[in-house]
Amino acid sequence: MRDLLPDLIDSAAARADYADARFVSTRRERLSTRNGGLHELDSNECEGIGVRVRLRGAWGFAATGGTGRRDAEAALERALEIAAEQPAAAGSVALAPEPPASGAYASPVERDPFAVPLEDKLAVLLAADAGIAAEPGVTLRIARFEALRVHKLFASTDGALCEQTLTECGGALAAVALAVDGSESQVRSYPASHGGQVTQAGYEQFVALELERHAPRVAAEAVALVSAPACPPGHSTLILAGEQLGLQVHESIGHAVELDRVLGREASYAGTSFVPASAIGSLRFGSERVGVTADATSAGGLGSYRWDDEGVEGRAVPIVREGMLAGFLSSRETAAEIGLERSGGCMRAEGFDRQPIVRMTNVNLDPGDAGTLDDLIADTGEGLLIETNRSWSIDNRRLQFQFEGEAAWEIRGGERGRLLRNPSYAGVTPEFWGSCDAVCSAGDWRLISLLDCGKGEPGQVMRVSHGSAPARFRDVEVGVA
Amino acid sequence: MWRSALREVSELAEQAASLAGPGALAGVTRERSLTLRFAANRPTQSTAVEDVTVEIAAVQGGRVGRATTNAVDTDALADCVRRARGAARAAAGTGEGSFPGFGLDRDPGTPRAAPARPDSATAELAPGAGGAQLEAAFTAARAAGVEAHGIWTAGEVRRTWATDAGAGAEGTTDAFMKVICLAPGGRSGYAAHTARASAELDGRALAEEAAAKATAPGAPAELPPGDYPVVFEAHAVGCLLELLAGAAFDGLAHADGRGALSGRLGTVVASPAINLADSPSSPRTLTRSFDAEGTPKRPLPLIQDGVAHAVAHDIRSAALAGTVSTGHALTPGGDPYGALPTNLVLAGGGATGADELCQPIERGILVTRLWYANVIRPKEPLVTAVTRDGTFLIEDGRVTRPLRDLRLTDNALELLARVQALGRRQKLTSDGELYGRRFASGVVCPALRCGAVRFTGAAG
Repeated sequence: MRDLLPDLIDSAAARADYADARFVSTRRERLSTRNGGLHELDSNECEGIGVRVRLRGAWGFAATGGTGRRDAEAALERALEIAAEQPAAAGSVALAPEPPASGAYASPVERDPFAVPLEDKLAVLLAADAGIAAEPGVTLRIARFEALRVHKLFASTDGALCEQTLTECGGALAAVALAVDGSESQVRSYPASHGGQVTQAGYEQFVALELERHAPRVAAEAVALVSAPACPPGHSTLILAGEQLGLQVHESIGHAVELDRVLGREASYAGTSFVPASAIGSLRFGSERVGVTADATSAGGLGSYRWDDEGVEGRAVPIVREGMLAGFLSSRETAAEIGLERSGGCMRAEGFDRQPIVRMTNVNLDPGDAGTLDDLIADTGEGLLIETNRSWSIDNRRLQFQFEGEAAWEIRGGERGRLLRNPSYAGVTPEFWGSCDAVCSAGDWRLISLLDCGKGEPGQVMRVSHGSAPARFRDVEVGVA
Repeated sequence: MWRSALREVSELAEQAASLAGPGALAGVTRERSLTLRFAANRPTQSTAVEDVTVEIAAVQGGRVGRATTNAVDTDALADCVRRARGAARAAAGTGEGSFPGFGLDRDPGTPRAAPARPDSATAELAPGAGGAQLEAAFTAARAAGVEAHGIWTAGEVRRTWATDAGAGAEGTTDAFMKVICLAPGGRSGYAAHTARASAELDGRALAEEAAAKATAPGAPAELPPGDYPVVFEAHAVGCLLELLAGAAFDGLAHADGRGALSGRLGTVVASPAINLADSPSSPRTLTRSFDAEGTPKRPLPLIQDGVAHAVAHDIRSAALAGTVSTGHALTPGGDPYGALPTNLVLAGGGATGADELCQPIERGILVTRLWYANVIRPKEPLVTAVTRDGTFLIEDGRVTRPLRDLRLTDNALELLARVQALGRRQKLTSDGELYGRRFASGVVCPALRCGAVRFTGAAG
């Protein structure tokens, strides 16, 4: 393959303004247990080649599951044909310059998750399941494991030839409790919902989750939620932590600063953005406490890599500084369109059969100086703490949002109080981040993973992490759903 | 040509099933597709895919282990079988399961859905044909003074399954085009068409329809949060029904007691005007004759005259519920997220169209489509979504001017209970979301009027 891709690119160079090719090999393993028995045990492998060409401003991309020379050459021909058959793309600009990527990289792994026997992984999941089962009010118990390894080889007509292997591993557990009369269903998840916590690392990270140790608490909270009072409507001081804060960053900041959206390229599907392309340095995104960095070098982050899928080296890009917009998530094409010197290195594709598009790296909320979560709760007096997401929705300009967590804790007199069910809240992005008056310190800063970010046509699911420490927001509308 | 190609895929499934041995299921899906995206009256991205997925599901001790590969040489198939068997063996180690096995038609007396009919012209996936539709959309948009954004896509998918007891195969084609027109003032309009054949896609007509919505006269009005009567056009109805499919008709959640219809089958859950079914052989849908487990598909009434009638099952959820599969498996052995109806058809009513549906409304809202729809609490089932690309104020029985977008947060079943009237004309609706291996689906439904819908805030 290290010979095939450069040969293919040499062949494309005379026929396209630009071309790149990716060989991608993916291996994935998913296990889950359900009420003490196996629920899902999948072992997936696929590989193939994606070829992208640019011809008079129009892109053509073709992918093949075949990995032979003929397959690759046929994909190139198809990509060229498609680019040539499209209406002229008037007004296109040259791609932002990028030094040719070269070398090889593998993300750190202490213990290869694919080398661990299935029986060992199942034993961990079943132990966690048993920990939940000790709570009689739980009617559904789920425990999950997953591992992913992606190997990529990239070559371009700009002279790039680079290779990287990224390994991810993690898991989760969840408990569902039903009211006796069946009228109410509540769920608690650990460490996160929507697939759990996955880290760019090896099996050691799955073990570090300590699912069995957390199982009794998760089960007890699920049962308690069924009879807990509902989150009352009104306005409240809100502390967000963990997955809920990560998702808040993801939906209202990360997507809003994707430059393809800002430039209107995603209007047909993902939407646009309330952020103008000319707003760097002039748009107030939040309070002076808010700093956000898109960092493709965060250790363990699912948005970390050595090179993106058009050969741009991953790096940290400032997005918000002291509340002011400082940058965008960009590609070589979109960066050039607004006059940036260099791409932000944010082009990612779900696999060999998808064209790279602008995606998030690890969009992280910078730590503040508010100490620990307990310090922040003590400093808050009255309010709510929400930490695990159940539902999310935001408009296509990333402006007006509504979220609901799995659980909330009332804060009274500076202490964590009673549990509340169905805690929803709503807001408007710059006003909400403008109300942020405290972010906890670096000691409480954690990366959380989001495994199901959808974008693109045909659809692509991307995995990303967001780092944050618990943060406080004033006068938020709660109990809206 | 597609018949010979289908034979090749069938032979591959039979080879894989033979390697996998007794009781195992081999499924093969081959996708060829082309997607052209555009924004602001110019092409932006294009994606052509040609790939095959082989999936082996092995059964041991009532448990299922699965493995997939996209390599089709004998060594790769043998490795896939080895992984599936290893998974099944490890699964069996967790204790005896209840999975009864693949490939048996447990309801042989009932007529099956007819095999899908692919369209050979669509299967050519000619980029020139798609490019011409883009150009037609751009021309119409420019004439209306708006920007066209959207996609044109077509695909050919061949699906086969095989076990030691039987086999099945079918080829399908699908095509989808949508146009969102953005007017200089920021208003937008939407039009889309889903079909079996790409020849049905008309870029010019779609752009004209979307442009008319985007350029509708009048300054946008605003409405405060509250309950309003609403006319949902077909695209919005389809979105709500897809949400309901997961919350109410998933047989796994139903068996767990988590589903919105748990304990409510046989009771009134919607207006008497609501007749909703999964109709896999209806010519209006993207037809399918079997599911991912090889179970034959048949019509499944879900709500009849407002009464909840059934939920959708795969083999696993059916075993849990003490019934038989209805042919709605998404994954052999059961998808972690359950079983879903993928050919929903909502029967039409007597109204001639949206204009007639608006007539009784003194002050209300016309919704073209919904966006970022999500289930908040599936048991209720509480859902939320925002309106997008064509929201209008209805005053004194007619649409008078554009309306700023709003967020809807309401109970999806109660919305159906508040339906007052339905349009006569049904439309195959889809958002064209084609994640993973291509599986095009849509909802056939008419526009309808709902007496009251709860809106909780602004959007956009």
